[in-house]
Amino acid sequence: MGHRERAREFVADVDRTRWHDQALWFVRSKRDQAADLVPDWEALRDQASAIKRSALTELPELWREFEEHATAAGTVVHWARDAHEHNEIVAGLLRDRSVRHVVKSKSMLTEECGLNSYLEAEGIEVIDTDLGERIVQLRGEPPSHIVMPAIHLQRAEIGELFAKEMGSAPDLDDPTELTDVARRDLRDRFLKAEAGLTGINFAIAETGGFVVVTNEGNADLGTALPGLHIASVGLEKIIPQQKDLAPFLRLLARSATGQAITTYTSHFRGPRPRSTQELHVVIVDNGRSQLLGRPAFREALGCIRCGACLNTCPVYRRSGGHSYSATIPGPIGSVLETSRDPATHAELPHACSLCGSCTDVCPVRIPLHHQLLAWRGELALSGHHPAWRRFSLNLVAWLFVRPTMYRLLGRFARGIGRRLPPTLREDLLPAWTRQRHLPTIPKSSFRELYRERQRQPKRPRPQAQPRPRHERNG
Amino acid sequence: MVTAREEILERLERARPPAAARPAAMPEPSMPIDPMATLRDRLQDAGGSLQFATRSGWTEQIQWPVEATTLRHVYSSLNAMPGRGVGLSSKTNHDLADLDVCVLAAEFVVIENAAAWQRPGCLRERAAALLATHLIVVANATEIVATMHQAYARIAPSDASFGWFLCGPSKTADIEQSLVLGAHGPRTMSLILLSD
Ligand code: SF4
Repeated sequence: MGHRERAREFVADVDRTRWHDQALWFVRSKRDQAADLVPDWEALRDQASAIKRSALTELPELWREFEEHATAAGTVVHWARDAHEHNEIVAGLLRDRSVRHVVKSKSMLTEECGLNSYLEAEGIEVIDTDLGERIVQLRGEPPSHIVMPAIHLQRAEIGELFAKEMGSAPDLDDPTELTDVARRDLRDRFLKAEAGLTGINFAIAETGGFVVVTNEGNADLGTALPGLHIASVGLEKIIPQQKDLAPFLRLLARSATGQAITTYTSHFRGPRPRSTQELHVVIVDNGRSQLLGRPAFREALGCIRCGACLNTCPVYRRSGGHSYSATIPGPIGSVLETSRDPATHAELPHACSLCGSCTDVCPVRIPLHHQLLAWRGELALSGHHPAWRRFSLNLVAWLFVRPTMYRLLGRFARGIGRRLPPTLREDLLPAWTRQRHLPTIPKSSFRELYRERQRQPKRPRPQAQPRPRHERNG
Repeated sequence: MVTAREEILERLERARPPAAARPAAMPEPSMPIDPMATLRDRLQDAGGSLQFATRSGWTEQIQWPVEATTLRHVYSSLNAMPGRGVGLSSKTNHDLADLDVCVLAAEFVVIENAAAWQRPGCLRERAAALLATHLIVVANATEIVATMHQAYARIAPSDASFGWFLCGPSKTADIEQSLVLGAHGPRTMSLILLSD
């Protein structure tokens, strides 16, 4: 089942589709308001994208520098070629310390690696502590959004879930009370956990440290209490200097949720001196170095996972995150997941109207819709298109290089089309005409109209008048 | 055998894009005309509240999140305000789960986003700031910077093993986008700016 089929299921519920669409558009508008309050917003985007672009050209140096400083600060650095190696390193650290209970804060990388099920198979309990992630974890689903994992669920469904899993009143549907139920349940688990796992938003070469941001404080609570902190990071997350954090942190929360900054912006640089706490960082490749080698797509590695491109995307808003069936949905997911596994995700670059809104909001200026278009081309050449699309595209290509045939067919279609009753005409294209009408079919083609115009005697062109200044600028 | 480290560095070397220079620093934004009004608005957006007081008598002057006399457990990193209950005596982080209030001293405050830069003196202090029901952050009214650019100019890269920007109480909007204050950490947060 591809994106089209899953999206069809999602949109079958018209009210829910509208509700989902509006919930995300609300977040998008908050982003706009927050961005409008920052006079140098566009300069910030330039700066952030330039830092990422240059960082991608010096990754070996930056990671060596990171490793050196991190080690000096007492952090243990690990390297993982792929998801399996990453999971094995984490599981090994936990095994060696006989850890049975782990709390984890949001990390798309560990989702990508399938860490939870790996650890559970080892008999280790993993609790996702971000409220949205906890909700989808209890439902046995993947997150449907990278910043708001449970955005596809309504309060009553969450009330039902909590009643079943945490014993709250079955008709509870007030967000404040529901959050409180989860807070109480998770508090105990935080206190019981022997290790805390987190992702990393930014790794800093200059200091060997890293930054994790959350609103809930779950990454902090999960790492302040237990004696072991393991942070997983993708190869693309490194920036050269600490001061480079400024543009990214100014952009990130504003782009994500319209907040000027998240509640917690935590800078880790080694375990607490003279404490028994351990800090481990696992650096993960898992296909990133391969993407780096593809000039048309490598800029996607600059993504700071703000989710703005999802919130603004007309296809995402109306088809829901799960219809992508990928760790990361939405425009950026369609680029990244297709790079990772073109055969499985070949349909994703088509889940796009090429409106370009994602490119307009992306804080690091990733040319998302250009990349999606480029992917379509690559997939066509590598034979990943379904037969029906190959057939129709070949037909069109055949026709476009035969002008006489093209004109003849055009005249034929116009002739038939004008004679058919409009309702019947629309019935021929049921999907397209469900929410719009076909335009009136003209008698003659553009070519014919143009030729006719050329035959008429030339009328003098009106003299261009210089316009007053204010009009020109308006 | 090639280690994962060597192999990854080698892969990165092979895929290295053509050189692109690091960008020059961007012009630093200036302080808004009325910094305190901006600060108040941004903190309010984040669910926190701003209060002003004098250095000598602030504990009496401020509005406490709960009646000050009823506070049983207080953790404080300030000399002017001694801890109380488990905040004073706790041996482990876990005891701190009963904290009513945590009072922290911040080094400076960023006007554009109302974030206060703080470096906990110990792991226990970090835990206290998260486990307490109410968080109070105290800073000098003169220690303000316009934006994050100026903020990082003040933080030495090798400073401390842990430091954080704090802004408002812990919160979530994961249930239907409704903002709820008090997700896992404090339910309220007040920023107190002190002057002489
Ligand atoms: S691609 Fe850009 S807009 Fe989309 S999540 Fe990444 S940084 Fe945000």
